[in-house]
Amino acid sequence: MHHGFELPGSFVKVKLRTGLKLLGISIILALLLPMSNILANDSIPPGGKTPAPHNHDDIKKGERLFFGLINLGKDTKTCVSCHNTSKLDTLSWNPSAFEIGVASQGKSEADLKNVLLNPVGIRLSNVHKGYVLTDEQIGQIHSYIISLPEKGAPQHKKLMVNRLIFIGLILLVLLVIADVIYTRYLRFKAINLLVVLIAGFFLTKITVTEAMAVGRSQNYEPDQPIKFSHAVHAKQNKIDCLYCHSSAEYSKAAGIPPANVCLNCHTLVREGARSGRFEINKIHAAVDMQKPIEWIKIHNLPDHVYFNHAQHVSVGKVTCQECHGPVENMDRVKQVSDLSMGWCIDCHRTKEVQFMDNAFYDKYEKLHKDLKDGKIDKVTAEKVGATDCMKCHY
Amino acid sequence: MENKYWRSVDELQNGKPIDSELEEINHKEDVLHLSEKQINTPASRRDFLKFMGFSVTAASLAAACERPVTKAIPYLIKPEEIIPGKSSYYASTYMEGSDYCSILVKVRDGRPIKIEGNELSTFTKGGTSARVQASVLSLYDSARLQTPTHLGKQISWEQLDKEIIAKIQEIQTAGGATTLVTPTIYSPSTRAAIDALIKSFPSVKHIVYEPISISALVQANKQSFGISAIPDYRFQDADLIVGFNADFLGTWIAPINYATRYMDKRRLTEGQKTMSRHIQFETTMTITGSKADKRQPIRASDEKIILAALYGKLSEKLGKAISGVPESPVKIDFLAEELFAAQGKSLVLSGSNELECQILVNAINLLLGNIGETIDFAHSVNLKKNDDAEFAQLMEQLNSGKPQGVIIFHANPVYDSPVGAKFLESIQKAALTVGIYDRLNETSAALQYLCATNHYLESWNDAEPTTGLYSLAQPTIQPIFDTRHFQESLLRWAGNTQAYYDFIRATWLTKLYPKSDSEASFETFWNKALQDGVLEIAEKDELKFAYNPKIAEEVIPKIKAEKNDSLEIHFFESIAIGSGSQSNNPWLQELPDPISKMTWENYAAVSPKLAKEKGWQNGTVISINRKINVPVVIQPGQNYDSISVSYGYGHSNMGKVADGIGVNVFPLQSVDGTSVLNFVTITNYAPTGEVVKLAQTQEHNSMEGRPIARESSLEEYLKNPSSGNELHEEFEKKHLTLYDDPQFDGYQWGMSVDLNSCIGCGACIIGCQSENNIPVVGKKQVTNRRIMHWLRIDRYYSENPDNPKVFHQPVMCQHCSQAPCENVCPVSATNHSNEGLNQMAYNRCIGTKYCINNCPYKVRRFNWFRYVTNKAFSYNMNEDLGRMVLNPDVTVRERGVVEKCSFCVQRIQDKKLNAKLENRPLRDGELQTACMQACPTKAIRFGNLKDPKSEVSILKKDARNYHLLEDLHTLPSVGYLTIIRNDKEESKS
Repeated sequence: MHHGFELPGSFVKVKLRTGLKLLGISIILALLLPMSNILANDSIPPGGKTPAPHNHDDIKKGERLFFGLINLGKDTKTCVSCHNTSKLDTLSWNPSAFEIGVASQGKSEADLKNVLLNPVGIRLSNVHKGYVLTDEQIGQIHSYIISLPEKGAPQHKKLMVNRLIFIGLILLVLLVIADVIYTRYLRFKAINLLVVLIAGFFLTKITVTEAMAVGRSQNYEPDQPIKFSHAVHAKQNKIDCLYCHSSAEYSKAAGIPPANVCLNCHTLVREGARSGRFEINKIHAAVDMQKPIEWIKIHNLPDHVYFNHAQHVSVGKVTCQECHGPVENMDRVKQVSDLSMGWCIDCHRTKEVQFMDNAFYDKYEKLHKDLKDGKIDKVTAEKVGATDCMKCHY
Repeated sequence: MENKYWRSVDELQNGKPIDSELEEINHKEDVLHLSEKQINTPASRRDFLKFMGFSVTAASLAAACERPVTKAIPYLIKPEEIIPGKSSYYASTYMEGSDYCSILVKVRDGRPIKIEGNELSTFTKGGTSARVQASVLSLYDSARLQTPTHLGKQISWEQLDKEIIAKIQEIQTAGGATTLVTPTIYSPSTRAAIDALIKSFPSVKHIVYEPISISALVQANKQSFGISAIPDYRFQDADLIVGFNADFLGTWIAPINYATRYMDKRRLTEGQKTMSRHIQFETTMTITGSKADKRQPIRASDEKIILAALYGKLSEKLGKAISGVPESPVKIDFLAEELFAAQGKSLVLSGSNELECQILVNAINLLLGNIGETIDFAHSVNLKKNDDAEFAQLMEQLNSGKPQGVIIFHANPVYDSPVGAKFLESIQKAALTVGIYDRLNETSAALQYLCATNHYLESWNDAEPTTGLYSLAQPTIQPIFDTRHFQESLLRWAGNTQAYYDFIRATWLTKLYPKSDSEASFETFWNKALQDGVLEIAEKDELKFAYNPKIAEEVIPKIKAEKNDSLEIHFFESIAIGSGSQSNNPWLQELPDPISKMTWENYAAVSPKLAKEKGWQNGTVISINRKINVPVVIQPGQNYDSISVSYGYGHSNMGKVADGIGVNVFPLQSVDGTSVLNFVTITNYAPTGEVVKLAQTQEHNSMEGRPIARESSLEEYLKNPSSGNELHEEFEKKHLTLYDDPQFDGYQWGMSVDLNSCIGCGACIIGCQSENNIPVVGKKQVTNRRIMHWLRIDRYYSENPDNPKVFHQPVMCQHCSQAPCENVCPVSATNHSNEGLNQMAYNRCIGTKYCINNCPYKVRRFNWFRYVTNKAFSYNMNEDLGRMVLNPDVTVRERGVVEKCSFCVQRIQDKKLNAKLENRPLRDGELQTACMQACPTKAIRFGNLKDPKSEVSILKKDARNYHLLEDLHTLPSVGYLTIIRNDKEESKS
C-alpha cells in the first residue's frame, strides 16, 4: 500500500480538480454529441446527375407556387399540403417534394405537366382535379423540384431532452458544491444535500438507462426507400410472411424478397390505394435500371451473435410475431423487441421444444426417460442446451 | 520402455532450449516495448486518474454514438440456386502446376470461402494438402494481375490479340519460331487448345518446363522400358516400400494420392493387423522419412552408388552376379535381404533427377519382379512429365539470331531455373514475349505482353491426372478482375472465337462421351460429370514394353565410389511453399514446416554433429558458395556432410508477402548435361558473424518428460495390442476426483487422432485456419510465440539425434470434461456445454489469460493485437479483397480476448440443424470438422461419444487409445492412438 492514497485532504483537492476537469470534458463532449447524431442520421446524399440549368428566379417562383403563396383559386390544393418538404416523424403516403425531385431528374416540363394536369392513376386523378396552371408556372414548379436533390434531403433535428436534463443536473450539482465551498448562500445545508441526492439519483438513472440501450435500437423505425406497408400486404391481402421471406424456412437469413418476387403481383397491380403509382413504380424502375433496392435494415444483431431463422421458424415453430411484433399491423416496420441477450435467454429458458415430434431429439435418452417418468412435464430449449454460450456465439 | 523424447538438440543436451534464458531477459524490452524507467517505476495515482478520465470520456463517447445505418440489399432477380445465408458446394479441380486435387468448393453468397476434398475422386479420395487448402486465399490476393498489359500499360483484349497474332505471323514469315512454355499439361482440352494454336501457326512449338524437374525419371523409363511415362505406384499392394530421396508423402509427383494409398496399407484400425514396411534413404528429414520404419541419412550424390551396390547385391542373390559394382557408403545388406524376400511385393522409388539413379531403380524393380505388380504402366500418372533438354534447346534457339517469340504460361524460369539470369538476358532478344499469368512474378517483369488469366476458382477446365480418370473444374465466382482463361487466349490467337466452356464441352462430346459407354444423353452425361467433378472411364494405356536389359549394366561401370570429403548443399521442396509459385500466400508462409517447425523463411538444415564441429547454433548465418547467406537450423536426422536448403523463397516481384524473405536457391543448382540436379558441392562456406532469431514454433511447447507420445512396434502390438500404452490402464484405475462426474445426454462430441496415420503434412492446420478466420501474425510475432493457429502439430524426436525417430502429434483443444481452464476464468467466459464442448465466449472474455496459464495442453491463444484492418499486419485481413475469404459464420476476434479450437461448432450446429429440418437423428460421420475433412490419411475422426456405435466410440475403446496427460484427470474428449512402427530386430543397427 506504500504507493496508494496520500493524505485525505490533498486527495480531495486533487480529486476535485480532476473532477472539474473531467466534468468540463464531459460537458463539451455532451454538447458535441448532437452533432455526431446528425452525422449518424440517414442523410440522403445529393442525388442525380448534372441538373438541368435553371433560373434562380424560376426556382423562387416555383417554390412560392409549391407553398401556395401564389393564389391559384379557392378549390386548388397547394402542393405542400400533400407533399411535405421536410422529414416527418410520421409516415406520409404521398411522396415528399424531395422524392419527386429525385424522380423528376432527367424528365421534361411536359412530363410534369402530364402528371399535374392529366394524371394516369386513379388516385392521382382524383386529387389533381381542376388544376389551372400555365405552362410558365409548370416550368417554375419544375425548376423548383428538380433543384431540391442538389441541396440534399431536408433534415429534421432531434431534440435532446435527456441530454439537456443531464447537463442541467450536472450544472445544478456544481452550483450547489460551489455554494457549499464559496458563496454559502443557503443556510440550511440539508437543502444542499437534498439537491445533490435528488440530482444524483436522476443522473444515475439516466446514465444507467442510456448505458443499457448502448448498441440496441428498440423502436427503430426508419423510412424505407419504398413505402412498403406490411399492413396492406400481410393483413389486408393476407399474404403469408413466408411467401416473401421464403428463406426464413431453411436459411439463417429470412431474406428480403428480391424484386422479381414483388413483380409476381406487381406486374398486374400497378397502383396502390394510398400511395398511388409512385411507390410501386419504384420497383419497376429498379428492375429497368438494374439497380437493386437498398432497404434500411432494422433488426441488426451484433457480429458476434449467430442467429438462424430456420432453427426458430421451421424447427422451433416460433411465429414471426413472437420476435418481430405485430408486423402485419405496421405500415412502416418498427423494431419491437430490444433484441438483447436477456430477451433471447428469457425465451430459451421457457420455450418448449418440439421434443416428441422431431426425430432429431430421439438421442436424448435421459430426457425421454424423465418425461416418461413424469419427472418433467415439458422439455424446454434450455434442457437441450439452448442457454450454452456456443449456441449463439462462435 | 519409455523413450526419452526431445524437440531439439539443445533440449536433448542441456535440458532446455539454449535461448530460453536470453529470451526471459529480453522479454520486457522486446515484447512489451517498455523502457527501463517504465519497467522500474510503479504506476502512480495521477496515472490512474488519467486513465480513468480517459476511460470515462471514451465510454460516454461510445455510448452516445448511434449505430450506423445498415442496408439490406436483396437481389433484383434472385438466381434459383442461391439461398442467401446458405452455402453451396461445387465440385471442381485444383491445379497449380503439377499439384492436382479433386475438390469441393464451398460458396457462400457468391464467394468461394473454403476448399474441401472430393470424396468421389478415386485419385485423391477426399484428401487435400496444405497448398490446396490455402489456394482459396490466392484468389483474393491484390497482387494478382488485374488487366492485360503491354509494356506495363493497360491494353484492351482486342488490341492485344491483334498485336500478338500479327507478331506470331511476322516471326513465322521470317522463318523463326514461337515457343509456348507451360508446366506439364494434363488437361485434355488445354492440350486441344494448344494443338489448335499450333495448327494455325505451324511455327509454334510447345515445351514443358518444370521448376522441380523429374526429367530423369521420364528419360529412364524411356530408355529402360521404351515408355516415356510415369507409372502408377501401387503403394497399397507393396509390403516393402524403399524410398531414395523421394518425398512421396509430402511433395513428390502426386503426394495426396500416394499418402492415401500408403496409409491404407498401414492403418491398424477396423481390424487390420498388417502393415507395410517402409525404409527411407534421404538427405534431409522429410515427412516421408519421419514415417519410415527405418531411415538412413545419405549424401544426395551417393544415391547412385548405393543403388548400384544394391543392384549388384540383388543380382548376386538372384544368381546373376555382375562385376564392377561399387562399394556402398552405407549398410545395405539388410535392405538387399528384405527386398529379396519381398519380390513382386516391394516398391523402390527414387526422387533423384540423375538418369543413372532412375535407370538403376528401374533395373532393381524389374529384377524384383515389381513391374506389373506394384508398378503399373497401364495407368500412367500425367501430372508431371518434363524433359530438361527442351528448355536447354529453347535457350539455344533464343540465342540463334533468328526472330523468336516466347509465350510463357504459369512458368517462372527467370526465378526458378538454374540459368535464370541467362534466360532473362536471352529473352530480351526475342521479337515477341508474352506472359500468361494470374499474378506477377520475376519473369513477368521482363515480358512485353501480360495476359492476365483467371484464378482456377474462376475458371473452367478439365484434367486427366491418370489414365482413365478425368475431372472437371468449374468457376465458382465471376472473374474479379479483367482476366481471361489461358486457353481462351490461345484459341483467340488460333482464330477460334469459342468460349473455353464451349470448347471443353466440344472436347468431351467428341473424345470422352463416346468412350464412356454412357447411355444417357450428352447433356445428362455432362451434368453428372460436372456435379461429381470426376469421371472414370475404364481405360488402359497401350503397353509396348521394349525392355533394354543391358542398360543397367552399361550404367554401373560409370559409377565410381569416390571418397569426397567436401560438404554438399542439397535442395528440397518444402511442404508449404514448394517451388514458390504460391509464395505470396501468407497462410502458407506461416505454416510451420512439419519437421523443422520453421515459418516465414528458408534455412540451412545442418546435422547436429556438423553444427557441433563448426560451432554453429540455431540462427547462425552462414554464407554458402559466396552466393547465399542463410541461417542455420540444427536438424536431427540430417545427413552429416550435407546441408539442405528449401526452394521457393527469395522472391523479388511476387507481392508484399513473398518479396524479400528467405533466399532463392534455384540459381545454385547444378546442371549435368541437360539434367538439373538438386545438389552441388560446397566450395566455400563461412559464418557471416550474424546470429538471427528464427521464427520457429518448435520450442513453444514441451513435453517436459511426460508420456505424451506413445509408441510400440508391430511385433509387440500383435502380441499385446496395448503395448506401449500400459500407462493408460494404470491411470484409468487411479481416477479419483472431488468434482462431480460430467453427465451428458444425447451428444458428447469427441475426436480420435490416429498418430500412426498422421503424416504431419499440415493440411489440417490450414483447413482450420481457413474455416475459423484465424489471423496471420507475421514473422516477428511468431518469434514472440504469438502464432494464432488453433491446431498445431507437435513434432517430437527420440533416440539418436543423428537419425532419430519422429512423432507428429496434432494438438487442438482437448475439450476436457473436467477442464482446468474453466475453473479459473473470473468471468466465466469459458465453460462447458451440455454437448461436452469447452466453450469460449469472446465477448465475455476480459483477457486475464488465467485460462491459458491453467491449460495443461497450451492450446489457447491470446489476441495480443487487433489483426483485422490493422496496418501492422498487412496480410489478407487488412484489405477488402482479402477479407472476402472470411467465413461469415465465425466471429472475427477482437484484440484482448482468448480463443481456441471450438471443434468447429459452426459445423456442428449446421449439421444438427439440417438433421432437425429433415426430422431425423444425426448420422455418424456426417459431421466433419475442418481438420478431419482436410486430412489425406483419415488420421482425425470426429463424432458422438454418447453413441456406442459411432466411429469415435469404437476408437476410444481401442487398446491403442490414450489421452494427453491423462494422470491429471482432465478427461479430454480427444483420444490419441499410439504409433506402431514395423520395426525388425535384425535391421536394428
